Amino acid sequence: SASELEEKYGTSINKGLSSSRAAEILARDGPNSLTPPKATPEIVKFLKQMVGGFSILLWIGAVFSWISFGIQFAQGAESPFDNLYLGVVLALVVILTGIFAYYQEAKSTNIMASFSKMIPQQALVIRDAEKKELPAEQLVVGDIVEIKGGDRIPADIRLISAQGCKVDNSSLTGESEPQSRSCDFTHENPLETKNIAFYSTTCVEGTATGIVINTGDRTVIGRIASLASGVGNEKTPIAIEIEHFVYLVAGVAISIGVLFFIISVSMRYKILDSIIFLIGIIVANVPEGLLATVTVSLSLTAKRMAKKNCLVKNLEAVETLGSTSIICSDKTGTLTQNRMTVAHLWFDNQIYSADTSEDQTTQPFDQSSPSWTALSKIVTLCNRAEFRPGQENLPIMKRVVVGDASETALLKFAEVILGDVMSIRAQNKKVAEIPFNSTNKFQLSIHETDDPNDKRFLLVMKGAPERILERCSTIMINGKEEPLDSEKAEAFQTAYMELGGMGERVLGFCHLYLPENEFPDTYPFDTDSMNFPTSNLCFVGLLSMIDPPRSTVPDAVSKCRSAGIKVIMVTGDHPITAKAIAKSVGIISATSETVEDIAKRLNIPVEQVNRREATAAVVNGMELKDMSLQQLDDILCNHSEIVFARTSPQQKLIIVEGCQRQGAVVAVTGDGVNDSPALKKADIGIAMGIAGSDAAKNAADMVLLDDNFASIVTGVEEGRLIFDNLKKTIAYTLTKNIAELCPFLIYIIASIPMPIGTITILFIDLGTDIIPSVALAYEKAESDIMNRRPRNKKKDRLVNEQLAVYSYLQIGIIQSVGAFVTYFTVYAEQGFLPSTLLGVRVDWENNAINDFEDSYGQEWTKYQRMYLQWTGYTAFFVSITIQQVADLIIRKTRRNSIFQQGLFRNKVIWVGIFSQIGIALILSYVLMAYWFVAVPFAILIWVYDEDFKLSLPPLPLTHPC
Amino acid sequence: ELLGRSHITNAFKILLFYVIFYGCLAGIFIGTIQVMLLTVSEFEPKYQDRVAPPGLTQVPQVQKTEISFTASDSKSYEPYVKNLEKFLKDYSADQQTENIVFQDCGEMPTDYKDRGPYSDAQGQKKVCKFKREWLENCSGIQDPTFGYKDGKPCILVKLNRIIGFKPKAPVNDSLPAEVMAKYSPYLIPVHCAAKREEDADKIGTVEYYGMGGYSGFALQYYPYYGKLLQPRYLQPLVAVQFTNLTYDVEVRVECRAYGQNIQYSDKDRFQGRFDIKFDIRSS
Repeated sequence: SASELEEKYGTSINKGLSSSRAAEILARDGPNSLTPPKATPEIVKFLKQMVGGFSILLWIGAVFSWISFGIQFAQGAESPFDNLYLGVVLALVVILTGIFAYYQEAKSTNIMASFSKMIPQQALVIRDAEKKELPAEQLVVGDIVEIKGGDRIPADIRLISAQGCKVDNSSLTGESEPQSRSCDFTHENPLETKNIAFYSTTCVEGTATGIVINTGDRTVIGRIASLASGVGNEKTPIAIEIEHFVYLVAGVAISIGVLFFIISVSMRYKILDSIIFLIGIIVANVPEGLLATVTVSLSLTAKRMAKKNCLVKNLEAVETLGSTSIICSDKTGTLTQNRMTVAHLWFDNQIYSADTSEDQTTQPFDQSSPSWTALSKIVTLCNRAEFRPGQENLPIMKRVVVGDASETALLKFAEVILGDVMSIRAQNKKVAEIPFNSTNKFQLSIHETDDPNDKRFLLVMKGAPERILERCSTIMINGKEEPLDSEKAEAFQTAYMELGGMGERVLGFCHLYLPENEFPDTYPFDTDSMNFPTSNLCFVGLLSMIDPPRSTVPDAVSKCRSAGIKVIMVTGDHPITAKAIAKSVGIISATSETVEDIAKRLNIPVEQVNRREATAAVVNGMELKDMSLQQLDDILCNHSEIVFARTSPQQKLIIVEGCQRQGAVVAVTGDGVNDSPALKKADIGIAMGIAGSDAAKNAADMVLLDDNFASIVTGVEEGRLIFDNLKKTIAYTLTKNIAELCPFLIYIIASIPMPIGTITILFIDLGTDIIPSVALAYEKAESDIMNRRPRNKKKDRLVNEQLAVYSYLQIGIIQSVGAFVTYFTVYAEQGFLPSTLLGVRVDWENNAINDFEDSYGQEWTKYQRMYLQWTGYTAFFVSITIQQVADLIIRKTRRNSIFQQGLFRNKVIWVGIFSQIGIALILSYVLMAYWFVAVPFAILIWVYDEDFKLSLPPLPLTHPC
Repeated sequence: ELLGRSHITNAFKILLFYVIFYGCLAGIFIGTIQVMLLTVSEFEPKYQDRVAPPGLTQVPQVQKTEISFTASDSKSYEPYVKNLEKFLKDYSADQQTENIVFQDCGEMPTDYKDRGPYSDAQGQKKVCKFKREWLENCSGIQDPTFGYKDGKPCILVKLNRIIGFKPKAPVNDSLPAEVMAKYSPYLIPVHCAAKREEDADKIGTVEYYGMGGYSGFALQYYPYYGKLLQPRYLQPLVAVQFTNLTYDVEVRVECRAYGQNIQYSDKDRFQGRFDIKFDIRSS
């Protein structure tokens, strides 16, 4: 009772807490807000970028450079500072790419931060016997708060008085139907009992007063939220792929480096020289610019997805969506429009279908029958919902309505067909009304008619069909009242069952013209004594309503299906409704049957049905509760079309885990707080931008701004495209590694003058190659990527053997040959024929030899040789660049000929090519002569690649389970 | 077993592919290099922008540009003497007897000797004789230790060979007084002085020996026609003897050649000049 409550929470219902007592409790319990998930400190994030990926290798390179600088400096060598600078440059590269990645990451997190900044909530509290507006954060246990329709509940509240209070618990339970709240204790389970309202749910209508019983993290929502933070974050598929790639390249770098270290030591190079070679090999092998490029490509895609209403919180999630193989989707709001709409009508013994699309302006069904005229009048008049004023210019479907969901549906339905409902109501003045309540289950009103010659009153009534029928003795067929015999009652039953079986909410409508003699103009209608007839009415028809699927969803679901993605519906709704929606959007396709369907068709008990024959399954939350993991796995694997109905948040988590056990990449959509554990557990959590709660948005990796399932599909498409394009980028980048590496290896083995310098390599990796590799992210899809199965996490790697071998051992080698031809050309034209270059390294690099003889007998000073060597670097650099242009063009496609893909569809590629040549021109402002030596090899690369693509077997297009 | 066999054939196929692939690439590589070589003349290089203007170098050259020895210890200067001896072998009179190859270009500096186009249409080109005797004390004829045993080391100075390069004699007013003393319009004079001001008094007397007693390179030895046309070309030399170097200190000497088209560069310390360090120990 009230006094017990007062005692328990140390408060007074009339006076509330005293301010000082409240302050004490506030100090003890902390503010009434959810603790945000622990964020990683910025400095840790930053340092992570500094040591992640290739950075370690580059740091090693830098440290080696400094060590060799130290040794050389101590020995007083001639030019020790080269190594110092190299070390500094390497360190700078690491730091700059780290800063860049950190900045990109921070930018995408910032988009999300704006979400959580909401206007601080206010609550009306009684303290010190006064009503006060306080920020909800300052509420404490024992406070007395008042809530009214439209408010968000500021804490968990035990109601002590309520007037027609209804709350929307959808953010907690997923059930969209508003639930009434009173001060009666009705259930042991706090979630079920009627006298508790929960934090973060909203009060839809009515008013109530209550005692705060839990605040902050101790509220029911708070506990669910902490459940979510307990679920660990797993690595995204693309992060795993990139890690794999880094290991691969680092492995190659280290093994070649160590191998050649050993070779050079055993070839009696000095240890110091060997270390310098090692640095060169590492720098040549590591694609310094690649990780930045990947980040840029991902964020470009993220931007593109944001335009299509997918806001990506975590950059890597961009690709995750592309590799998704199962989508566990919510029903309400995601698949459906989240508003009741009239779907079917039954009058004149016939069922009519109504248009349920989002932007209906007319209704196509036959409206000529006089029965429809009568029915439409009831629909219009027996309805308390009204449009908010001032929305005349908006389309009807978008207008805001005051009233509950089904009345809103009826109002809009009538407005679409009849035009201005309000004026019709004004012409048929309401004289009496009994609103809907749960005991009589009907709504009734009495109106004057708009026909001035007809002085009768019209009584209209709507309600639960069986209750309405009980009150009728006649039924209207084609405008004529006919007695309601058993045959007609049978027809009614069949129609009612059929509509109900479609998961729709059915309402019955009837009317009665009150005789003029008994009910004259001045008759005093009294709704309490009911001094008018409420039986022997005339039944007019049925209307059924449903929250209809979004019109784009069936198409999106079928796209998912052809893309090999399984769509599973997980909803808190009733199985019948869930199944009906699943059928109408194609999650359960027209031809497939559930076990129950088969049993019904064959007329055998459910147990005897061969479960393998049923492709679809509708699983009830109650069944799921009793299932072992084994059974769940069985269902997930054996049925291709699954609907889970009446599920709880925990069960959603179990379903997601079950899918992940199958090795699937799982996307989960959700809006409520209850969804946040599942969102977090999923490989990619997708929160709803409009209907979603903050907790869901926090837990998700992606936010759908328009709440539309179809947006997920465009996201999948983008995700797959970026994976393909990243492959191209990586192939492009890896190729030139060989052309950068070979010079070192041949330098060590053949002792020729150094063909390319370490810094020059960085010019390529961080200069000419950056824009072209980003440009590949703009490449269009080669074939219909939505007709492919999702990639297999274990088999379809970002960098596979074929890609590495083709890049390294074929194209890369051709590139090296081309570059070496240029190198030898430079030396030959300056006086050193190829044969004289072999084995000259020691004398060539000796500072004391200043009369080094070339093939013609000319003598070169050391500096002149170095100058020539730098010319060689430039020529080598230029020829790699030229061949990278060819590489870029061949990497545009992986299977198609370049003629199929078209050279000009991706304009950004040309920006890439021109930037590449432009940067190379700036960096090598001399030497136009050597630009063309490598051109034949560039053409060779292209021709070879076209042949290679021709020889590829066609892609398998199979769709196994 | 079947799988094993198909694996082996597969591996064999791949191997075969790479053998052919790399074979073809090697062919292409050699082919293009050959084509490229066709565009390059045998007799003169296509470009000389990196090698000119010429460098100035010295003999002996042992490891570093430093000469350090003890006059009384023959072992300590043996490498220098051997190096000089080896270099001068081609300059000995008995090496310059074939008259088909060698030509007597006189005892005094004269003008350039153009020998026609840079091709073997007229066979090999003749080469001017350079008499070792002109180097006098530094010729190694009288003193096989080139003055090292007396603590009076000789070095030989030469201008780097560059095909077709015709050094131009300097314009008189820009030269140091010592160089002007013995001026010839057909001479690229060479002069050595202390690198640093403070060494000026430690360097002592410097003797120069060369063609006709001139300290410089006579123009008739130019232009050089290259290894193929003048395989036994003798580049003109100047011998420099330091007869009174201060012992037991490091003395840095810089030698320069002077000419209108002989340049010096801060980056290339051997272009048109060089510096050498002497460190003679008394015991």
